[in-house]
Amino acid sequence: MGTKQEYLIRHKDGNLYCELADIWIDPSKPVKKALITHAHFDHFTFGCEEYISTKETAILLKERVGGNIKIKTFEYGEEFKINGINISFHPSGHILGSSQIRFIFAEEKWLISGDFKLQKDETCKQFKIIKTDYLISECTFGLPIFKWDETNKIANDISKWITNSPEKTSLLFCYSLGKAQRLLNEISQTNFKGNIYSHDSIHKMNNIYKKLGIDIKDTIKIENKKKIDELKGSLILLPPSLSKGSYLKNFKNIQTAFASGWMSIRALRKRSGYDKGFAISDHADWDGILEVVKKSEAKNVFFHHGDSEALSKYLVEKESINVLFFGK
Amino acid sequence: MSLKKFSELFLDLDSSNSTNNKIEVIKNYFFSNDPIDNSWAIYLLTGKSNKRFISGRYLKNLFSQIYEYPVWLIDTCYLKVGDSAEVITLLLKNKTTSRKKELSDISLNELLSKTIPDLSKLNEEEKNLQIKNIWERLPEDYHLIFNKILTGTFRVGVSIGLITKSISKLINVDEEIISHRMMGNFKPSIDSYEFLINKNINLEELNSKPFPFLLANTIEDKIFKNSINDFQFEWKYDGIRLQLIKRSGNVSLWTRGQELVNESFPELVEKMSHINDDFVLDGELLVWNFKEQIAFDFSLLQKRINRKSPTRSIQIKYPIIFIAYDFLEINGRDIREIKLENRRIELEKYFSKWQNKTENNISDIFKICDLIFPNDWPDALTYKEKSRENNTEGLIIKKKTSIYSSGRKKGIWWKYKVDPMQLDAVLIYAKAGSGRRAGLYTDYSFALWKDEELIKFASAYSGLTNIEIKELDKWIRKNTIEKFGPVRSLKPEMVFEISFEKIQISKRHKSGIAVRFPRITKWRRDKKINDADSLENAYELMKKIS
Repeated sequence: MGTKQEYLIRHKDGNLYCELADIWIDPSKPVKKALITHAHFDHFTFGCEEYISTKETAILLKERVGGNIKIKTFEYGEEFKINGINISFHPSGHILGSSQIRFIFAEEKWLISGDFKLQKDETCKQFKIIKTDYLISECTFGLPIFKWDETNKIANDISKWITNSPEKTSLLFCYSLGKAQRLLNEISQTNFKGNIYSHDSIHKMNNIYKKLGIDIKDTIKIENKKKIDELKGSLILLPPSLSKGSYLKNFKNIQTAFASGWMSIRALRKRSGYDKGFAISDHADWDGILEVVKKSEAKNVFFHHGDSEALSKYLVEKESINVLFFGK
Repeated sequence: MSLKKFSELFLDLDSSNSTNNKIEVIKNYFFSNDPIDNSWAIYLLTGKSNKRFISGRYLKNLFSQIYEYPVWLIDTCYLKVGDSAEVITLLLKNKTTSRKKELSDISLNELLSKTIPDLSKLNEEEKNLQIKNIWERLPEDYHLIFNKILTGTFRVGVSIGLITKSISKLINVDEEIISHRMMGNFKPSIDSYEFLINKNINLEELNSKPFPFLLANTIEDKIFKNSINDFQFEWKYDGIRLQLIKRSGNVSLWTRGQELVNESFPELVEKMSHINDDFVLDGELLVWNFKEQIAFDFSLLQKRINRKSPTRSIQIKYPIIFIAYDFLEINGRDIREIKLENRRIELEKYFSKWQNKTENNISDIFKICDLIFPNDWPDALTYKEKSRENNTEGLIIKKKTSIYSSGRKKGIWWKYKVDPMQLDAVLIYAKAGSGRRAGLYTDYSFALWKDEELIKFASAYSGLTNIEIKELDKWIRKNTIEKFGPVRSLKPEMVFEISFEKIQISKRHKSGIAVRFPRITKWRRDKKINDADSLENAYELMKKIS
């Protein structure tokens, strides 16, 4: 412990890297060995020689990268060794297969939180508190203005939003992996009993979730030539990339909404161009990050992803927790 | 009726981009609520009030004090959210769950006519305690509305026109009538609401109220295909648009913002009340240079607008004039349906009659607008170019056969403004915006060359598209030299074309010049910073104009 160079895990070219094991975590460029926390596109890249992840993440990765990648999988909690370092995956509650990664070397524990949330989500394993000496946490929503409502409250709001406009087709934009399945699971428990359609990219992910034993409602794959009348009063899940441009011309009399944590802020909601915003996130809110920092019992914390200035200052001032920064 | 309904209305309006949808939502709200709550809803939605009971800063400090929250953290949140009331609302989430929500049935009327105004009667300590109490006893869903009303920032995208349309639909009475009733000071009360929704149209009760203003559209090329003789040409003055009404001997001055401004211009009220006829005139109020017979700069008029009961010396220092350009009513007869050219004949006839009454010299405060007679369209253009010489903004072109209808109706009145003045300047500072632009760098400062140095000369925040704003925001974050609070100084690299209306010498600014209404008109990606204009260019521009 002491100078920067001696840290087990550090920042290199914008990515997390463990020199001792010569292994990268969620690298954004092709490397020899990559640990993958979860299968969102901004957390892996094509062309690595070897990937290591949980079983579920591996299946999702193969769907996205192609079947012929070299990938080693481990169960949650199962320890494996690379160059004398004990490494293990633990549930992070972000999406199916998502994980925190723990490193133990010479009795020093490091924990990379990955993207995580503490809120209820029946489509993936609940976040597990892991004790550590060093914590590298995400900080996407690192301001106290972010405070998520209960998931079922949001689901009921969505249900009301659809049923209050029976003449309209309701287009709900959301990330195709994780968010879409969580929403489907939640919406099926509300009063909304109409048809749900999903875009091909979402439909594919739904099928993988189902194959892996996750209980989500059946949806109809959206075809371009659907009759307008059939879609009236129903819900259509679409990826955000389709919200701009000509795709929306396929529908008539629509209302649009975006499901994202950012939608809790009015200015962002207005600027987004959607009619409505539902503030539901697969990331931890401010209190969630604080809880994990405290319960992990980490003596040293790093932040990674997002603007961590305020959170760092707060932890130092109010909680007397040592916040460290990666050198560039 | 509880605040709940209004809170739902607010959310519905806030999350709808469709005008028809908004009208429907407002109409339904009116239909299902008390007259008194409805009148408060109109008061809030039209944003006429926005009285600030406490400042955003006060609210933030109060929250910090009650919940032991560092002020710097609240300020950091503000940069992301752009509205103090909303920041505090978000921070209050789950903070007040323990208390019983005794205020869940509070009506809009009670909140606005009692709970909030009563705060002003308390000393600071009691006031703070009371606000905390309200936060705790008010359901979380209403916090935003409460905080916004408290800080005078309640705003939602609803125009008076939308309210007018909603009421018109609700009671099935013409929009024009409702629009007429909506004019002037709206005081929330059962009576004022019932006056709005009265199905019987009573002309007498409408007596003191102005007609809806007719507005000019920006000129379109197609007009040049018409014969020049079809149009009346006037100078476009840069003053306050007013309707001057005299009915049953009483004079009222109404602005286009529907404000009664009699108290700011008592000398005009006094003079006009001596005229023997009743009338309604549409025109412009200006501070007038009687020697040269041209308007003084708008900045002088500003010294009069917000000053009620001006002293005699102020009246002499800033002499006003009302220039009438239209005639809407004479001795109780509505003549708006008469053709413009005939209204003009009437106006001239009555004006000379009033002027010739020697016992009442009105010419030191009232005249009718001069007409311009260009020979053809190129000639009109020449007039337009000359408009700066007499301190006008260009021309107003009116169709001679048109009637005086309401609103911005196409094809009746056109404004033909002088091309704006322009300079190419370098972006040197950026500041995060507020409200809708929160979290983005949208307030920019621009500089011109003085020898080897860049000197700030104007700030602007309008003119870029949303896509450009986002792109520039990204660039700003990557090219920051230094941060001073919300302001960043930037690597001088980007050149923009800045347009403005006026340029004049100013001792207050380091650059020595001040410009009016600066705005971005082009992102000059084709230009390097060395191609930007110098202060010298600006001085030349100033000389050319004066």
